[in-house]
Amino acid sequence: MRIETCYFCSSKIYPGHGMLFVRNDCKQFRFCRKKCRKAFQRKKNPRKAKWTKAYRKLAGKELTIDPCFEFEKRRNVPVKYDRELWTKTIDAIKKINEIKERRERHFVMERLRKGTQREIHNDIRDVQKNLSLIRAPEGIRKKDTEDEMKMEEDEEEIEYMPALEMEKKLSAGIMDIDTVKMKN
Amino acid sequence: MGRPQAKAKNHRHNGNLKNKRSLRLKRKTKDLDEIDRDLKEKPDELLNQEIDLDAPGFAQHYCLHCSKYFINQRALEDHFKTKVHKRRLKELQDDPYTQEEAEKAAGHGSFNKLPAKRKMETQPTKEEYNAGKRVKVEYYTQQELDSMKKKNRKSLNDSKLSVDDQEMKN
Repeated sequence: MRIETCYFCSSKIYPGHGMLFVRNDCKQFRFCRKKCRKAFQRKKNPRKAKWTKAYRKLAGKELTIDPCFEFEKRRNVPVKYDRELWTKTIDAIKKINEIKERRERHFVMERLRKGTQREIHNDIRDVQKNLSLIRAPEGIRKKDTEDEMKMEEDEEEIEYMPALEMEKKLSAGIMDIDTVKMKN
Repeated sequence: MGRPQAKAKNHRHNGNLKNKRSLRLKRKTKDLDEIDRDLKEKPDELLNQEIDLDAPGFAQHYCLHCSKYFINQRALEDHFKTKVHKRRLKELQDDPYTQEEAEKAAGHGSFNKLPAKRKMETQPTKEEYNAGKRVKVEYYTQQELDSMKKKNRKSLNDSKLSVDDQEMKN
């Protein structure tokens, strides 16, 4: 029994799953599902379809070079059955997988960190450039309110009077038009 | 013996039939790795084929990169100017994808290589061929690749990014 890998997306193919296409030059292609088979029929390039492993590794989205990848490999070397070796390898697989997963996770986190740093940096720059568009910070705001209060105190007091009364006074000649204008 | 209307009804849910037909196995065209093998191993054989009465143009006008027969020289030369042909040349620049690469991508061994780039040119015309020009598959040298990269780097976006990097360091 052998767990094969899909030609297109590099996922695992367990026995009884997927399909095998044999081209008329005897070359074999294994596909995990219809999606991959169709993509192959349409002559899509697995390096350019974003959902394949080949794309993700080429684009630097996943860990590519690491000694932990050297264990699981097609070696094409016959090995005689040995119970002790068998049990040992099964124990080793668990540990290797644990290490591999940890390293892969670490790689992805490192990759993402760069992006967040750049984002923060860009945000800060954006704010510095367009400070005038944002509300003033609290310290400046306090100062502003104090200044406003002072301005209000400095202003002259304005007398308000009803329009009818003003007309009467004007007609009687008690007030001049210039003084009215001043008051307004 | 159905009426034409009935036929239309039956085909309603078949999608784009033309596309589907082109995907059938009996209409299968060569894959990129097969064409790659042709280019490396038997370009001369394919360019000078014997007369085959079944093939279009009696198999005398064949485009190596697109693996297609044309009815005459003019049709072939017109094809060289098309987008389809130019796109195919570009696709063939990379080394073909293999099952080994798929396995490496799955984590069986380190996946450490970008596909190597080759120079791809349209096949020589008959006159050029008789003058001694042959189809060759040559890899770009490292120097040529570097110079190509520099040209690409001149675009605006990249220069902006590099400025950002400097600021970040400061």
